[in-house]
Amino acid sequence: MSGSGHPTDPGYHDRPPGADELVGHETSATIPAYLVGLGLATLLTIASFVVARTTLVWQPSIPVALVVLAIAQMGVHLVFFIHITTGPDNTNNVMALAFGVLIVLLILAGSLWIMTNMNRNMANMHQSMPMEMPIRQ
Amino acid sequence: MSGAQATGNDYPLAHTADHAAAELLTKRIIVGFGFWIFLLSDIIMFSAFFAAYAVLVNQTAGGPSGRDLFHLPYVALETAFLLLSSFTCGFASIGAWKRSDLWFHTAMAATFVLGAAFLALEVHEFADMIAQGAGPTRSAFLSGFFSLVGCHGLHVTLGLLWLLTMMAQVYAKGYRPDIMRRLLCFNLFWHALDIIWVGVFTVVYLMGDWQ
Amino acid sequence: MLGKLTWDAVPFDQPIPLAAGALVVVVIIGVLLWIALKGWLPYLWSEWITSVDHKHIGIMYTLLAMVMLLRGFTDAIMMRSQQAIAFHSNGYLPPEHYNQIFSAHGTLMIFFVAMPFVIGLMNFVVPLQLGIRDVAFPTLNSVSFWLTATGALLVNISLVVGEFARTGWLPFPPLSEITYSPGVGVDYYLWALQISGVGTLLTGVNFVTTVLKLHAPGMTYLRMPMFCWTTLAANLIIVAAFPILTATLAMLLLDRYLGFHFFTNEAGGNQMMFMNLIWAWGHPEVYILVLPAFGIFSEVVPTFSRKPLFGYRSMVIATMVICVLSFTVWLHHFFTMGTGPEVNAIFGIASSIIAVPTGVKIFNWLFTMFGGRIVYATPMMWSIAFMFTFVIGGVTGVLLAVPPADFVLHESLFQVAHFHNVIIGGVLFGAFAGYTYWFPKAFGFRLHEGLGKAAFWCWVVGFYLAFMPLYVLGLMGMTRRMQHYDVPAWHPWLLLAALGAAVILTGIILQIAQLAVSIRRRQELRDVTGDPWNGRSMEWWTPSPPPAFNFPVLPQVEGEETYWGIKQRAFQRARIRDEPIYGDIEMPRNSPVGFICAFFATFMGFALIWHIWWMVAVAAVGAYITFVVFAWRDRVEYVIPAETVARIDRENRAARSAWIATGQMTS
Repeated sequence: MSGSGHPTDPGYHDRPPGADELVGHETSATIPAYLVGLGLATLLTIASFVVARTTLVWQPSIPVALVVLAIAQMGVHLVFFIHITTGPDNTNNVMALAFGVLIVLLILAGSLWIMTNMNRNMANMHQSMPMEMPIRQ
Repeated sequence: MSGAQATGNDYPLAHTADHAAAELLTKRIIVGFGFWIFLLSDIIMFSAFFAAYAVLVNQTAGGPSGRDLFHLPYVALETAFLLLSSFTCGFASIGAWKRSDLWFHTAMAATFVLGAAFLALEVHEFADMIAQGAGPTRSAFLSGFFSLVGCHGLHVTLGLLWLLTMMAQVYAKGYRPDIMRRLLCFNLFWHALDIIWVGVFTVVYLMGDWQ
Repeated sequence: MLGKLTWDAVPFDQPIPLAAGALVVVVIIGVLLWIALKGWLPYLWSEWITSVDHKHIGIMYTLLAMVMLLRGFTDAIMMRSQQAIAFHSNGYLPPEHYNQIFSAHGTLMIFFVAMPFVIGLMNFVVPLQLGIRDVAFPTLNSVSFWLTATGALLVNISLVVGEFARTGWLPFPPLSEITYSPGVGVDYYLWALQISGVGTLLTGVNFVTTVLKLHAPGMTYLRMPMFCWTTLAANLIIVAAFPILTATLAMLLLDRYLGFHFFTNEAGGNQMMFMNLIWAWGHPEVYILVLPAFGIFSEVVPTFSRKPLFGYRSMVIATMVICVLSFTVWLHHFFTMGTGPEVNAIFGIASSIIAVPTGVKIFNWLFTMFGGRIVYATPMMWSIAFMFTFVIGGVTGVLLAVPPADFVLHESLFQVAHFHNVIIGGVLFGAFAGYTYWFPKAFGFRLHEGLGKAAFWCWVVGFYLAFMPLYVLGLMGMTRRMQHYDVPAWHPWLLLAALGAAVILTGIILQIAQLAVSIRRRQELRDVTGDPWNGRSMEWWTPSPPPAFNFPVLPQVEGEETYWGIKQRAFQRARIRDEPIYGDIEMPRNSPVGFICAFFATFMGFALIWHIWWMVAVAAVGAYITFVVFAWRDRVEYVIPAETVARIDRENRAARSAWIATGQMTS
């Protein structure tokens, strides 16, 4: 294994993602973290279900509200369970996460945009191609 | 001793105990980061399934839609089980840090039970749907549903297998550094599965029901 | 008992695959017998098959690539000769066979030639350039290689047992669905790629971690050689793009095996979604291939111009920009398939924008050469040829990026010429440059220069002869993948293209000859000092071949091109630095887990293809048990004693001292 563990090594002061108790954090610091995380996640989950099933939120904006709540809960998981922070020891982890999120957004948004565009054009085809004769029996 | 010599050759650190500890720490960082990268790739794979699902969500081919099929209380129960299992998994990692067999094995067992309960509910849901004629071969929408949710369920299944293997490893070999690194990876994996589930229940079940 | 597998699967009634298959089987058995009789099996097992050493894995990847190049090129010769004679004639290849050939050609060339070639070079070089002992996850590296080999093996088995896909190198539905491709061909393709895809993904994880986290002391990110930056970018793309491929092929597999409706004609399936997802992978894939090639040129050009790389920081920025932008252009592969002008315009513009950072790189290489003292060694010749050839391919790409133009040229031979232009001119020329450049480092002797140059000229002339006519043909309206045609104007161009293929064949033969001659004359061609080219980066500091541990003591890095600085100072002072204090070195132990996993993966893939379900289960269980047995290992490292390290290093130091004593840095 060639990790040099040298102070000038770019990754030397990094922390891995995930609970890293070996770095000397007290247990008491992480148990509350998990409890808070569980509490927040539960609240956000309940909120999502409430938003979806009741008329508390203006109907057309329900999907947006659900997405926001979902992202918030993912954030709660990342911070309280996986212990991602914005400190310099987490820079690589955050950059990697940002890259991943960017790709996910490109795939989701790109695919939806492209496919809806194509589907709409497929539907329009019948109007825009009058040469097409209906099949007569 | 720092190892840098006055001649300017400055070859680095001699192999002191500090250096050995630093190396282990470095290994943990490296393994953790590598697994994090792998998880991001897994999330991207899920996003491809999400994209396919989103594109096909209305292609019910005259068959049942999400609204007809999804039972939200059931989903709420599944979500509760998985979320709690994430919590107990965190406790298991604390138990491992404390080198406490009781704490670790209890928390892992709880995680297993909760995860298995989640799976049981999901399998039951799938079986029900198939029995009603709403299986994955019925329509493109259902193909998308079964593969997205099923892919997640498959990951949970593999995770449970991994969980048992880790319990066996700790039992056989104790809290060795390499086993601790694997536990770190398992932890990350299990939390990531819950993150993906947040996406699943939001996009598939809650939005599906709303439509 | 054996699923769908029967004796009918062997093509007894088709002479060409039968003969080819028989030949290959005979050669393989012959080679295995020769190895066994010479007693090399234990050595091969302990030093190569179970090796977790990045250098050995890199060499094996490269060897796999070169062997697969022969198979892929054979397919190419068959296609060119078929098209040369199939004017008002059916040629000699029946359509069902021709379709398999062009499908196998593309599949092999992309997945089992280009990918392993660049991955092999990255494997060998990057840890040496970073000044470390191995990659982040050496055993995982071995698993990656053997899974890739499994994929290649499955594709080749399809030649003699069953058939290959007839759907092209990307299996577009509905043709690739079970209704229209009921045979096993598409299944061979799908499982081969799923299995090797896992290997590639693990390589991506491995190298991203290595480049970001493992450096020699003092090597900050901006002191890394350019090849390491392009490795980072390419592997980030692997990590982000290959999951899309896995998911999309899985969807097709679900359609074929379990009757799902992702891409079927019935029940709401959407074939366009396959196109969308597969190209969302497919475009980043080509950047996975070309970025390492760019990195190779960034190493070769400075070395043979005797100047540092011009514009290092702009190169880094350009590389990372390409990495991100590669995920924003994928629609340009299907402009014609129904998206409206607003979508086409956005992606067309994005595709033009991505040409800019590549242009930056070309200018930087040119500025590196300007004012330098060029040495026209073979690697440099490949680099110069790349610069011309890739630019031509690139501009035809920018042309194709304009949607209205693409509507005329899509799926024509113009498009075929374009991508061969950039892949051969970019990736393959880069791979050959890297192969020639780093061969002495890997094996301790150089390749014969004269034969190298001869092979180079045959390749370049052959390439232009083979592919420039295809541009003309595309503009004349010829579509790709035609098994026969009757347009007289096309015929002479296709004859010319076939001639070009023959010239390339000569080039390949010369490359094989070069290897054979170099091995025979290896004493004359020996690389004594470890630095045959007067290199600038740290791999040239090690002896050739490097010992298992690479560096006796991890080097302390002070600036860019650390080794060049050390070398300059050594020649000025007329002596090398003092001996370091040697210590024991721990290295990871070899492991058969990669090979054994691949063994089970091969059986699992084969069984899935032929629906032999019990074999699938057994293989899956076997693979899992292998992991668990591996995880139960107690001893993961072995120790190289300080005396051995000292002895090896002192030999290198003696050779270098002798070199310095001559006072001549350049030989």
